Amino acid sequence: MTLDRSAVDGRLAGDVGTADRVRVRYAKTGRLRFVSAIDLSRVWERALRKAGLPIAYSEGFTPHPKVSFPDALPLGYASTGEYAELGFAEPITIGPAMRALNDAFAGGCEVLDARGVLPGERRLSKWLGRALWCLSYPPEADRAALTAAAEAVLAGDRWPVPRERKGEVTEVDLRAPLVDLAVSDEDAPRVAALLDASEPPLRPTEVHAGLAAALSTTTAPHTDHSAAAGSTLPKPRLISRTAQGAPADGGLREALSGEHLAVTAAFDATREELRLDRRDPTGA
Amino acid sequence: MSTTERPTRSVWPQLEPLLSQVQRPARYVGGEDNAVVTDHADADSAWLLLYPDTYEVGQPNQGVQILYEVLNERESTVAERAFTPWHDLDALLRAHGVPLFSLEQHLPARAFDVLAFSVATELGATNLLSCLDLAGVPLRADQRDDDDPVVLIGGHVAFNPEPLAPFADVVAPGDGEEFVLEVDRVITRWRRAREAGQPWPRAELLAALARVEGAYVPGLYVPRYGPEPATGGMAPLRETAPIRNGLPTAIPKRTVSDLDDWPYPKHTLVPLTETVHERYSVEIFRGCTRGCRFCQAGMITRPVRERSKETITEMVEHGLATTGFEEVGLLSLSSSDHSEIQELATDLVKRYEGTATSLSLPSTRVDAFNVELADELAREGRRTGLTFAPEGGTDRMRAVINKMVAEEDLLRTAETAFAGGWRQLKLYFMIGLPTETDEDVLGVADLGRKVVEIGRRYGKKNRVTLSVGGFVPKPHTPFQWAAQDPPEELRRKVGLLKQRVAGERNLKLSYADPEPGVVEGLLARGDRRVAEVIQRAYELGARFDGWSECFSLERWQQAIDEVGLDRDWYVTRERGRDEVLPWDHIDAGLDPHWLWEDWQDAQRGRALEDCRWMPCYDCGVCIGLDLEHQTGHLPDGRA
Repeated sequence: MTLDRSAVDGRLAGDVGTADRVRVRYAKTGRLRFVSAIDLSRVWERALRKAGLPIAYSEGFTPHPKVSFPDALPLGYASTGEYAELGFAEPITIGPAMRALNDAFAGGCEVLDARGVLPGERRLSKWLGRALWCLSYPPEADRAALTAAAEAVLAGDRWPVPRERKGEVTEVDLRAPLVDLAVSDEDAPRVAALLDASEPPLRPTEVHAGLAAALSTTTAPHTDHSAAAGSTLPKPRLISRTAQGAPADGGLREALSGEHLAVTAAFDATREELRLDRRDPTGA
Repeated sequence: MSTTERPTRSVWPQLEPLLSQVQRPARYVGGEDNAVVTDHADADSAWLLLYPDTYEVGQPNQGVQILYEVLNERESTVAERAFTPWHDLDALLRAHGVPLFSLEQHLPARAFDVLAFSVATELGATNLLSCLDLAGVPLRADQRDDDDPVVLIGGHVAFNPEPLAPFADVVAPGDGEEFVLEVDRVITRWRRAREAGQPWPRAELLAALARVEGAYVPGLYVPRYGPEPATGGMAPLRETAPIRNGLPTAIPKRTVSDLDDWPYPKHTLVPLTETVHERYSVEIFRGCTRGCRFCQAGMITRPVRERSKETITEMVEHGLATTGFEEVGLLSLSSSDHSEIQELATDLVKRYEGTATSLSLPSTRVDAFNVELADELAREGRRTGLTFAPEGGTDRMRAVINKMVAEEDLLRTAETAFAGGWRQLKLYFMIGLPTETDEDVLGVADLGRKVVEIGRRYGKKNRVTLSVGGFVPKPHTPFQWAAQDPPEELRRKVGLLKQRVAGERNLKLSYADPEPGVVEGLLARGDRRVAEVIQRAYELGARFDGWSECFSLERWQQAIDEVGLDRDWYVTRERGRDEVLPWDHIDAGLDPHWLWEDWQDAQRGRALEDCRWMPCYDCGVCIGLDLEHQTGHLPDGRA
């Protein structure tokens, strides 16, 4: 899918039309995972200036560049499914502009797809009702047990998991926003999860907690599953968001391309590229 | 530890899992635009440039940025950066046995040949020790092995290095551009010998470094003290002398003669997380001849060296293009004194009109010319706040400190500003100045009241803030002999001010806690005996002493008591003419007789003109350095 280099270049290779409002899908990977959403918006503004693109500014005494991010990725997660909308002072030719922007970014940020906003089109945020996540586990995670745990979670009507906020532990139902789960057929297994937007949003770490609880139940049915939670399932080494879109047929319609993606599409993104930015010369 | 191998593996795999447990992890990841990443295998020397504070405070430092580029431009040299980890990561690093690391490649600090600290403030001392400790480098120079990295200290504290002397291999007062390249040549030879299996004994390395002009190797100098006085206090310093012949008795500061030859920074790093300043900064000149008697920076950076308008313009253009920054800072100690400032500001404003690029001009004088300049710079933006630093509350006080602005000029400036649409004035003052009376202190409040009254005539909501800090005497200034006010006295004076401004609408008083000033004063004018206090305070947990939420005078007092020093002898005592000062062997170019005479003039309330347009008063710098002020000002007045 999108993280395939040739496909990315393919999407932005030509002119891709001209527009003064452009929607982009971008990746936030490598060390940039540790940069907050507020800081990331500054990274964007500077890259746009450095690329010499005619970004539009708001009116008033303290003009702000017209770059909007409908949704913030929590700190620490990687993503190939982030979205932004850019307003330009004059129409730009999308392909070359996005390539110039990618050159201006320091490692970790990269536009993967872009297109002009059509007149009367729905707001970008309306397109982000469902997200596809990928949890990459270390090789010591038991793939068969993980598969059984995923099946158990999907079979349940409710699946309470603990949620810690500001030192207080409450319980939330993982099952309600969870649309689908899949486990990859790899030595170091990955779990793909389709989650509907909810308020407050369900965090992928809570998917992990649900799986850990299920795993302890399925492997040792008589133990209290909250106490043993996480004891046999190691923490994921990397959690990444791989796409967002509108809910559609048990999957999602990707916000920019309209492409239908099932839960297993999360496995198309390569793990190492999300962990280490591909342009990071050190591979830190 | 006698391994000749430098560690070469990144600590990133150990660090990464810790980052989800700390505040603001972006400060530890590096990867910024314009960061330079060079393979250490291809290098002949490796420098780790450290600023002993958080990333947010240290990254915008101009000196570090300049040296980072100067060193990295040399093909076979690597320079990376590190900062002091905040308490949370500090604890995690120690718990997991992860060493201090560079941001570029997350290499352990011991992978570097030189750990070069830029120490701008005395309160960075414990953070410096924390960095060494986390690096796995012995805190004290005399405990370091042949192959331990060289610990180099520069920045303003290098002008009285004695309190840090036992921790430093080399101290470098003055401009670093040429100095680091000369040191780098020694380091390259040292490393080559080490890699060839014939490591130099540490003494040989230090002797080679001591031959670089401007390098002070504290281990080669020894302070000698007289007998302890029967009346209490500390034994007086007799001399700080080289341990053998052939070493200079005084170490001259380094001075770069032409700033146009050193047009750095060219590619300022663009932080990924918000820092204290976010802009492309260019020094428009170095040095200052205003002659403010409290100002160490103004004294130790003489003579004035202006950068040409052409170079500045080019640097700004290139600097913005390579960073995407939205602000340009035209830096210096008194930016409006540049002989071409008007043309420069007008040109830059015109050039970047409509690009949402803002210009800032810190450190300006109090006069109408500066309001015009500020008007010019704010042409597109909002006229919110202007800042001026009269420093003293009465004409008499300002004559003592040689901050020459008469009250009526100050009020006229305020009027011009409010009339021009500025809504808020911030005025900086110091209290605890030499010869200060309560009347001088109250003068601060009275001045504030007069300014706010003027402001009211131009808008009901116009506001004035008086920002008041306690004065700390600094080495190499005419006030180096002065007594420092104890915190209780400063609190009393703040109390007077509070009373006088109480109930005054739109006049705000803000003041700094006087307690950190005690430690600042102790370290500023301390001798080598103070080093024990720093180390003890560090052991007791002192870190980030410049942060009000971290500073504890009780902790420092405990360290002072345990070491057995007399705090008042160092901090609040006035020095006499014949006293040997701990920094006498550091030569900032200033003639000690001139400094003393200027101190006498100060106490008589006699001001001194700026030598850029008035005759030379023989402070000694130009003659000593065989340089002249480089400025476009004509000797008979403003150009």
